[in-house]
Formats: sequence, C-alpha cells, structure tokens
Amino acid sequence: MDFTLTPEQVLLRDGVARFATNGSSNGARRDHWKQFTELGWLGIGAPEDAGGFGGATETLLLMEQLGRGLVVSPFVSHVVLAGAVLHAANRRDLIEDVVEGRRRFAVAYEERGVRYDPASVEVRAERDAGAWKLSGTKVRVLDASTADTLIVSAITADGIALFLVPASSANLTRTPYPGEDGHDVATLQFDGVTLGEDAVIAPPGNALDALEAGVDAATAALCAEALGLCTVMLETTVEYLKVRQQFGVPLSSFQALQHRMAEMYIELELMRSMAYHAAMTVESQPDAVARKRAISAAKAQVAKSGRFIGQQAIQLHGAIGMSEEYKIGHYFKRMTFVERLFGDRDYHVRRYLAC
Amino acid sequence: MNLTFSPEELAFRAEVREFITTHLPDDIRRKMQAGDHLEKDDYYRWQRLLFERGWIAPNWPAKYGGTGWDPIRRHIFSEELSYGWAPRLLPFGLSMVAPVIINFGNDEQRARFLPRILSAEDFWCQGYSEPGSGSDLASLSTKAERKGDVYVINGTKTWITAAQWADWIFVLARTSPVEKKRQEGISFILVDMRTPGVSVRPITTIDGGQEINEVNLDNVEVPVANRVGEEGGGWTYAKFLLEHERTGTAGIAACRQMVTQLRELRDREGIADRRFDERLAEIDIELTAVAFTEMRVLAAESAGTRPGPESSILKLKGTEIQQALTELALDAGGPYSDVALARNYFNFRKATIYAGSNEIQKNIIAKQILKV
Repeated sequence: MDFTLTPEQVLLRDGVARFATNGSSNGARRDHWKQFTELGWLGIGAPEDAGGFGGATETLLLMEQLGRGLVVSPFVSHVVLAGAVLHAANRRDLIEDVVEGRRRFAVAYEERGVRYDPASVEVRAERDAGAWKLSGTKVRVLDASTADTLIVSAITADGIALFLVPASSANLTRTPYPGEDGHDVATLQFDGVTLGEDAVIAPPGNALDALEAGVDAATAALCAEALGLCTVMLETTVEYLKVRQQFGVPLSSFQALQHRMAEMYIELELMRSMAYHAAMTVESQPDAVARKRAISAAKAQVAKSGRFIGQQAIQLHGAIGMSEEYKIGHYFKRMTFVERLFGDRDYHVRRYLAC
Repeated sequence: MNLTFSPEELAFRAEVREFITTHLPDDIRRKMQAGDHLEKDDYYRWQRLLFERGWIAPNWPAKYGGTGWDPIRRHIFSEELSYGWAPRLLPFGLSMVAPVIINFGNDEQRARFLPRILSAEDFWCQGYSEPGSGSDLASLSTKAERKGDVYVINGTKTWITAAQWADWIFVLARTSPVEKKRQEGISFILVDMRTPGVSVRPITTIDGGQEINEVNLDNVEVPVANRVGEEGGGWTYAKFLLEHERTGTAGIAACRQMVTQLRELRDREGIADRRFDERLAEIDIELTAVAFTEMRVLAAESAGTRPGPESSILKLKGTEIQQALTELALDAGGPYSDVALARNYFNFRKATIYAGSNEIQKNIIAKQILKV
C-alpha cells in the first residue's frame, strides 16, 4: 500500500503541469501534438521495447494535469485508446508508429441507437473476392479529423472484428464537427469501403476483448482528466467566494455555502480515490471481468461527483458563472462531456451490475 | 503507487481470520448475524479471548500492551472482525480514553488504568454531551470545583453509550469559569462510577434499544490525581480523542457485510426489481470509493501523518452509506414484515448524529481544509 510517486513520475507530472498552464486558454482546442511527441509523452503506456515507458499511473498524472489546464487534446483517443487496442491485438509495429508520432489512430466503435456499448455493432464487413467491404455508420468518433488511420469495429459472418482503415479511403465520408467543449468529433459513413485481407488487426474472438480493454483504459484516463477539471472548479469556487462580497461580508462566511463547498470537496476526494483505483486496475488487473467492474464503478462515481461539482461551481459563482468570458463555465462544459464519454453513470451502473 | 496488500499483510489477514473462525463463540456470532443486541457478557467474553491472544489493543504502542501494528494491519484486523461477525471492540476504553491517558496522562495513571482496560476488567463510557451541550460541546456546564485534594463534580452528562455497563466514565468538566475563550478552563477527569453521587438513568431509543443513558453527577468527589494532563487543558485532549473516534466510524467492512446480506435477502425473498438492484449497485460503488479513500488516509498515517480533518470525510460518507443500506433493507422487507430490519433502520439514524454530527463535519472541512 503506497501512494507515493517515484522521482520520474514527479518530473513527468511537473513537466505536464508547466505545459498545461502555459499552453491553454479558455479551452480553445490546440493541437500540441508536436510537443507531445518531442517530450516523449506518446510513449506512455507502451512496452519499453517499442520505445514506451510507464503505464496507467503515468497516464493518470498526465491526464490530471491536462484537466487542470483545460487542455483538450487527442491524447486519450490517439494514444490511450488506440494504444491499448493495438497492444491487446498484439500489433507491436503499429504501437511503435504511435510512440514515434508517425501515425495517428482514431478508434471508431460507437453506433446510433446503441449508446456506448462496444458489443453492439451493425457496421458490416463482407468478404468479396479476397477483399473486405465495409458498410454502415459510426458516430461520435473522437479526433477523426487529425487521424490518418482508423480502427473500426465491424460485424463479419464470424463475429466482430477490428479493421485498419486509411482515413483517406474511397467511399468513406468523414463529417467532423466541434463538440461544445471544443473536442473534435466526427460521424463516419462507410459506403462499401474496400480493404485488403490484412486489414483485420483483431479477428472475431479477440476483437471485442481488445476493444473493451482499450475503452476501459481510455475511461480510466478520462477519470483522471475529470479529477484535474474538478480540482480547479473547487479551488476557483472557494477563492471566488472568499473574495466576493455581498451584504457587506464575503460569501464564504455563509454556512449554507460553506456546507455546499464541503460537499464538493468530499465528492472531489471520492473522485480522486476512484481515479487512482481505475489507474491501478488498468495497470495490474489481468482478469477482464474484474477490470470491467472496477472501471465501471470508477466512471459511475466520477460521473456523479463531477456533475455535482460542476453544477455547484456554476451555482455558487452566480451570474458570473454563466458568462462565456469567465473560465469556470469552460471547465464545466468539458466535465459535462467527460461525464458522458465512454458511458454515462446509468450505463456504467448497469455494466457494473452485469459483471 | 501500489494499492495492493503485501504477501505479509495477506498472511496476517489469514491468521486473524483463522483465529476469529476458531475462537469466536457461536452464540455471539449468531447474535451478530441476526443483528441482535449484545449483552455486556458477550463483549466481555470476546474481549477476554482477544486479550489472551495479545490482540486487544491494536492502536496502542507495544510498550503499554498494544499490538504495535501499523495502520494497515490495524485496518485489516478491524475488517476481519466485521467479516467474521465478531463484535467490535468497545471503543470507550480501548480507543478513546486510553490514547488520551497514554499521550497526556502520567506514569501512575498509565500503570493504574491501562492494564485493566486491556484485560476488560474495567469498562468505560464517555462523558461529553450534556442536555444543553450537543454539537456546541464547549458550552458544557458540568462543574468540577477544587476542594483540597478532590474535585467536587456537579452536572448531567447524556446520550452515553454503555454507561449501564461502565466501571469508569471520563468527564469533561469546567474547572474554571469562562473568561476569554470557552474552550479554556475545561478539564479531563476520570470518575469511578461507584463513587457516591453518580447515578445512571437509561434512555430508550426509537428502535426500542437500551444503549444510551443519562448520567447524573451530584456532588461527586473525585481525587485530583484522576485529572488527566493540565487543569484547563481538557479541550485539547477532547479534540485529540474525537479525531481518533472519527476514523473508526466509517465502518466499511460492516457495510460490505450488509451489502452481502441484502443480496441474500433479495434472492431469498425473490425480489426481481431492477430499481432495487441498481440502488444497491450505486451504494456499493460509493462504498468502494470510500474504501479507497480510507486506504489513502491509512497510507498517509503509515507515512507518519496523524489523522486530520480528512477523517471527517470517512465519518460523513461512511455513516451516509450505513443509513442508505438500512433504508434499502427496510424497503426490501416492506412495512410490518421484518422487525429486525425496521429496528436496524431506526437505530442507524443515530450514525449521522454521533461523533460530531455530519453538519459539524462539514463545518470542520470548510474551516480546516478549505480555510473559509
């Protein structure tokens, strides 16, 4: 039982903190990918012989600081999610591409009408004379515009498989749009996209496990981002209420507001515990059922705590909290989507029950 | 970062489990499983067994007869007591007054009181609250007037758990009138319950239980040698004690036992209700979050930090979860169907009130952590 960080981990955390506080402004999305590559962060979680280092703890440290700085980056999709899927699919060569920053992968698995569940797949992959043809629609694909390669789940005659699809493929329509928090999102339409035999990176029997492992790793990373976002929201709220005077006294002198802030603090600490729990699970839980149960517990708690902290941060700020010019609303918006990405609270409570 | 138990810690857990399985008397285990009230003799027999094994005082230093365990082992021991349906160690002597005597008492007091707490010869109770002083403890009006070698104590203490069994009571009393700060002039005094002028009146609670009492102190003469620490320094010792009390009230392992019992209840009663399952899952998830928070507090303690305001979170969320579970159990049974479930529900309303009400805990968090 040990919650202390190694000197290397402290260096990483502080390095990301410097980057995140200097680099961001009001949540406007900036693609800092070149710096991420140069600083070696794309290797986090990758095997050492593929040029990587660290694991879920390092991801947690990085994501918490990115959350604090409101840096909305493709790190979760291009590195954590894609990296974990490629790792589970045993594609060492492609992981090296991730680490070196040579290729950028986006994972397309969600579909309309089946919120969040990677096992519900209607995009079809049909074999046709030594080739595959993909047809159907993927929604809410994160960071598809900046990806050159897509990892797509599709149903074959033998079950779900994962395919490697060049983003520039013919008969593939990418419709990107900015999320309300500035995140790059896209709908992908496959109208008979033709792929070679070797496009299958995870065959039926292995694909869903790989995908779920990836989504769980990404979910743990988002829990850490939420922790960073909510830490700032609480700090900002407490500071503001100490300064803001009404009725001739600081707002923080009112007990109703003190108790609300105490409740926010409690939720933040529960969230911190679950973000750590999620990271440790990704790092060292070999059993898939136990992993899913732990990740769902973590995300369900983070979603609940994050919603409470965000909504109360706006409420306690009063009208200034509604202003686009003030920072708290931007943290709230990002938290609102983090709360739902890769499954909202209801989804994860049900998944927890099913495990 | 590493949140797992070491092989040595796991072996320790197995050793404790084995002892409880083989030594806890069956009649006590059955009472615990049924949620029945325990008698003094039940606690006495169990504490004697632990005393003979050398495990009665997990949080005392070894030189006074404690186990010398680190916080993680203490935590494992306490969890295993719950998992094995063993009674909790009554805290009033072992984890409340004893740490105060160890830290602030003199050698004579240590030699006189500690061995008899260890051996369960003396049962203790806590004389803090008064009819006019609940959350606002510093407003207490029990007086201890010094006359030569004795204090003459007059006042009423109330809501006192286990006073009907106790041989001794530790009392906060005012030894000098309020001048500047109300927290000053309070002393921490040990009173033999057999002293003339001490009387105990039982208070029946809404669940029909007889756990708590009012204790009247009517011209009770107590030797000055029974004062712990400085005269007028009692508030410091009282706060020290309360911080220790709060870490002990999260009751996470006991909650896990309740979750298991609720799942069994659902299966036994054939409750096919998705709302029930989801509510139970939601509570279970929050319980996991509190359990990891406790791990973080324990790890900090292991690293040498003494329990601070963070323990307020454990008290607050732990008791909320206890109440949510008893509420769900009552819902599962329905009205007038299961006396034990209803009794438990009514009884657990106390949890968010005692050891500093949850509203007081929020004041503590706001003041000491958020610094507002």
